[in-house]
Amino acid sequence: MIALSDYLILAAILFSLSIVGIFINRKNVIILLMCIELMLLAVNINFIAFSHFLGDAVGQVFVFFILTVAAAEAAIGLAILVVLFRNRRTINVEELDSLAG
Amino acid sequence: MTFDPMHLIPVAPELFLLTAACAILVIDLFLKDEQREATYILAQIALIGTASLALLVGGGERQVVFSGSVIRDGMTDLLKASICVIAFGAFLYAKEYLKDRNLFKGEFYTLGMFAVIGMLIMVSAGDFLTVYLGLELLSLSLYALVAFDRESGRGSEAAMKYFVLGAIASGMLLYGISMIYGATGSISFAGIAEAIANDAVNNTIMVFGTVFVVIGLAFKFGAVPFHMWAPDVYDGAPTAVTMIIASAPKIAAVAMAIRILGEGLGGINADWQGMLVILAVLSMALGNVVAIAQSNIKRMLAYSTISHVGFIFLGLLAGSQSGYASAMFYAITYALTALGAFGIIILLSRKGFEADRLDDFRGLNQRSPWFAAMMLLLMFSMAGVPPTVGFFAKLFVLEAAIRVDLTWLAIVAVFFSVIGAFYYLRIVKLMYFDKPADSAPLQAGMDTQIALSVNGLAMLALGIYPAGLMAWCVAAVA
Amino acid sequence: MSFEKFLFYAFSAVLIFAAVMVITRRNPVHSALYLVLAFFASAGVWLLAEAEFLAIVLVLVYVGAVMVLFLFVVMMLDVDQAAMRAGFIKMLPVGILIGLLIAGEIFMVVGPGTFGLDQVAAPERLPADAQNTAVLGSLLYTVYMYPFEVAAVLLLVAIIAAIGLTHRRRGDATKYIDVAKQVSVRKGEDRVKLVDVPSEEKMELK
Repeated sequence: MIALSDYLILAAILFSLSIVGIFINRKNVIILLMCIELMLLAVNINFIAFSHFLGDAVGQVFVFFILTVAAAEAAIGLAILVVLFRNRRTINVEELDSLAG
Repeated sequence: MTFDPMHLIPVAPELFLLTAACAILVIDLFLKDEQREATYILAQIALIGTASLALLVGGGERQVVFSGSVIRDGMTDLLKASICVIAFGAFLYAKEYLKDRNLFKGEFYTLGMFAVIGMLIMVSAGDFLTVYLGLELLSLSLYALVAFDRESGRGSEAAMKYFVLGAIASGMLLYGISMIYGATGSISFAGIAEAIANDAVNNTIMVFGTVFVVIGLAFKFGAVPFHMWAPDVYDGAPTAVTMIIASAPKIAAVAMAIRILGEGLGGINADWQGMLVILAVLSMALGNVVAIAQSNIKRMLAYSTISHVGFIFLGLLAGSQSGYASAMFYAITYALTALGAFGIIILLSRKGFEADRLDDFRGLNQRSPWFAAMMLLLMFSMAGVPPTVGFFAKLFVLEAAIRVDLTWLAIVAVFFSVIGAFYYLRIVKLMYFDKPADSAPLQAGMDTQIALSVNGLAMLALGIYPAGLMAWCVAAVA
Repeated sequence: MSFEKFLFYAFSAVLIFAAVMVITRRNPVHSALYLVLAFFASAGVWLLAEAEFLAIVLVLVYVGAVMVLFLFVVMMLDVDQAAMRAGFIKMLPVGILIGLLIAGEIFMVVGPGTFGLDQVAAPERLPADAQNTAVLGSLLYTVYMYPFEVAAVLLLVAIIAAIGLTHRRRGDATKYIDVAKQVSVRKGEDRVKLVDVPSEEKMELK
């Protein structure tokens, strides 16, 4: 049988991979957005695993809403990206240095 | 569960504002550019209506409806009304600014109203799911508003930073929520509190989840070390939008923290208190010290917000009724002060001129003694000089911290607020003792002038008579 | 090792491999495609955890819509990939260190010690006629009705924001067809324009 810890460790690996991704891809906004999707995927695996082992569907309801929000978030994030690209002709964060800080 | 129409009454403010926002969204499509004023007026009416509805349906017993998703109690009445009033002020000050910069569009008001709906939902949320959705509704509207000036590279850059860091914060918060759900088997604050009270939870998992939740909260508040977004966003966003970000969301964030930490995780108060102590000390130290080095007033106010967040945490971490009440008092008065300060920045700016450098305040007294006096009151309030309201706000949170035997923390807080007073008083010095660099007369409509005067005098009025609002805050958490 | 366990480890391995590829690829298009693979693999894991509806939604909504949106934007923007790589290697050791640190910490907290089979027994398999979708649906439309409505508002905001940010009104340069004008054209005077052309002078013959 698969233990709850197996699911949680899978989610933990995914979560840390997404954080590593955010660190090493600090310059590439598109991959940053994908890392955020990975992070939410890790959270969703957590919820589904707990929901399965608690025998309680509420965790799955939460995942349903996280998926909805993530889709809306991706739409707005990409819209901002497009506006940024139109203004700057780049999405390289390093060239985005007009704000000091 | 059966549906009872009476359950709609506690959420009447949200329903009204949502209906109004949708109606205004459609009406705006049929307006010509020169009739855009109608959108503004309708939005303001909607906000006043929502504030009055919140007070009208308020009062009386605490109500829990929609299977625990929504709570209506004294706290929601007070905070919902204050959020609407602050948003009303922000819309009012923003009007001239938007007109001058060709940004006077319907979307500003619709997105602004949706952000307010998000805050109202956060304030009255009864479970993690609702609080998360409200928070996202607020954040998504704000991300879009920061990028609202589409021609501005700085604006879209700030929006991108805000978006990425905000999304990471949401991810952290959700990871924490998933752990708490796993440990307690519930996502409602009442259910979590019950599970903790029954001692039926694995404490390690709870603390582990709480760490992530606190990190998420700190990100959203802009507390050190999760503050990186604040100065850039304050600086890059159009001043009208910065004004919205800096004011009302702080009230909603306090409500969210009280619901999550107080109502949900109140049983493990000792565990999160230490985390908040670290965040509070770091925020007060870094915010106040770095603000001194700023020459841009929007960046300076961003660091000042960070330091004020430290003070709000001081009230929250006490974990007592009086602590929550003082944090609420601090957030409401701070939102009002920040609103006024940004209102003055907008007053000084005009077409093609942003007035966002400290030097732009030179000799304001000679250009307009009345508004220099208003700015003086606002800065005194931020610095915590009596008899303005900022003094009492600080006094109440310090008192709450001392009551839970954190006297050393209170002393640290006083020390940093003395350092902080320096840069607020520097603006006062610039206004009164320097020669004006630019002598163009201030232009503003009568409505802005009256609102700014009321806003500035409120600092004094609330400072002379703080007991009224404080009594309301104490009653709200009781 | 039971077949179920084998499936779990197979899907997990694919998922982790895909996630590593997402964060290390040079080309955002490749990253996006690996992310699609990651979503498919985690849909498999979710099926094992008896979350059938969400597994299908993940594939339909995420792979079908969100990732297509990602790919669309990646291809629309002309991204300078070489510049993106600079500094990648420099950050790599720090990144790996932080990743290992976080993974190690989480492992200690949620590992077999706290959530192993001895602590949390595996639940009984649901019967074959169990309705995952019906359970979720009844929860969504009763207990979680209020959040459901809020989610609808959230999607509306996403629409307004995305259109408000990216929609560009074209000036007078673009010509539109106005059907009303087309229909109201009358026969004769509107359609045919008679122009009086002066007849040319007779050329003189030489």
